[in-house]
Amino acid sequence: MRFIIVVAIACFIGAAVFATTSFEERRLLRADPNALPTDPALLHFAVSRGEPLFRAHCAACHGVSGAGNPTSGVPNLTDNDWLYGTGRIADIAQVIEYGIRSRNARAWNLAIMPAYARPRPNPSDPHIQPLSPQEISDVVEFLFDRQGRNADAAAAVRGAALFEGEAGCYDCHSTDAKGDSAIGAPDLTDAISLYGDGGRDALFQSIAYGRQGVCPAWIRRMSAAAIIETAVYVYSLSHARNANQ
Amino acid sequence: MPETQINSTRSLLFLSIGAIAGLLLAGYSLFTARSASSLSVPAEDVALVNQQALSRSDYLMLLHTLYGVDLSEATREQRQKVLNDMIREELFVQRGKELDLVSSDPETRAALVNAVEMEIAENAITAQPSEASLRQYYSAHQDRYLSEGVMNVQDWVAGRDSGKTKGDEFYFAAKIHLGNQLFAIARDLSDGSSSSPISMADGVHVLHMLKNKRPVLFDFDKARPLVLKDYRDEAIDRLKVGDESFLRKRANVRIADDLR
Repeated sequence: MRFIIVVAIACFIGAAVFATTSFEERRLLRADPNALPTDPALLHFAVSRGEPLFRAHCAACHGVSGAGNPTSGVPNLTDNDWLYGTGRIADIAQVIEYGIRSRNARAWNLAIMPAYARPRPNPSDPHIQPLSPQEISDVVEFLFDRQGRNADAAAAVRGAALFEGEAGCYDCHSTDAKGDSAIGAPDLTDAISLYGDGGRDALFQSIAYGRQGVCPAWIRRMSAAAIIETAVYVYSLSHARNANQ
Repeated sequence: MPETQINSTRSLLFLSIGAIAGLLLAGYSLFTARSASSLSVPAEDVALVNQQALSRSDYLMLLHTLYGVDLSEATREQRQKVLNDMIREELFVQRGKELDLVSSDPETRAALVNAVEMEIAENAITAQPSEASLRQYYSAHQDRYLSEGVMNVQDWVAGRDSGKTKGDEFYFAAKIHLGNQLFAIARDLSDGSSSSPISMADGVHVLHMLKNKRPVLFDFDKARPLVLKDYRDEAIDRLKVGDESFLRKRANVRIADDLR
């Protein structure tokens, strides 16, 4: 009899845990993702479930800590500097769901960084013409100047003219070089470097040979709940104080 | 040893409780699982249209795209408008299936072919290759990971610089400016050296090389993003060929006598 009671209690506790988890999951799915930071209990629930999902699906590229890898151009997810979107949970969820250049029709596919040292810098846009080595160096000096670093002043002036004119950099990075997170064009005026150490060689490499990083689409491989939980966890990496409350 | 007593009432009671619990769980799963739900709308969806789910994430994305607002900020009218648009789209898609538009409408067919190809590519992109595979690929295709050579060459014709070249140029630009024949000779010149006189239709040319920086192989770290892209592109191509072959194998294709 005692055994049966123990089993019954265990079943009851199991059912209660299942019901609570299921209830919290439904609450999470029905909540406005961007309003989640104002609900500490739900935020904590999502973060705790998102961490193992992040390790399983994202850590291979972004690292277990989410710090990324500048060698491969994998962005740091802990610094609150967002290449795509503005770092809202819905934006992060959209990247996880549909990816970046993932070949999913809803992915962020709009722009690539042309390879200006190749005869056709962007095969899908014949209007973009190659630059000479000197012109690329001039653009690098212009970017150094915009970042407040020591730059060759004359080269920076020439680089500015190219940036805002013939090279067409302004088209994605904006005329102020501050980028456009709607198409994943990075801010070129800050100290954050997506590829390499941000030095002259790394910038030259990016301009000369182009960049087009990829993030897979997880929509067919993760449930809706798992995607939002992972998004909340990623959000928590750069908002640790709020998420751990 | 004490004799074991069997209480049939209690056994039946436990049996009944177990059966009811089982039925409840099965019923819960049946009516709430995304693929089988018929009574309630699953939490990850905003509506069911003839059992076809409309995703909540699509709804939120549309709401933001159309009105620039989050769910909590959206007015009742905005929410309703987006929902109605999604339902309308789903109804028309379902009607399109009923009308079998896919067999006659070229745009629908092209979109489907494209969507299937994209799905194949998506699968290849999700699989993360190992570093060892990438390094192996890099070693096997080193000719793809060379920097573009740079040269600064003067082309003298009848004692005058022809002006064809413009200071430091990438090899591809120098090739365009000099032409294939002169470029092939220039590529082999070292810094400070001059070519032998070259007779051409427009006169005798002499090339003088000021600087010749030949293409160099990027180290693996520098080349890695390009290697990963090429590796994936090849995997996508292989998968596409494999999928097409599989589809042909399982299909019953009959070709008209006159076209065999």
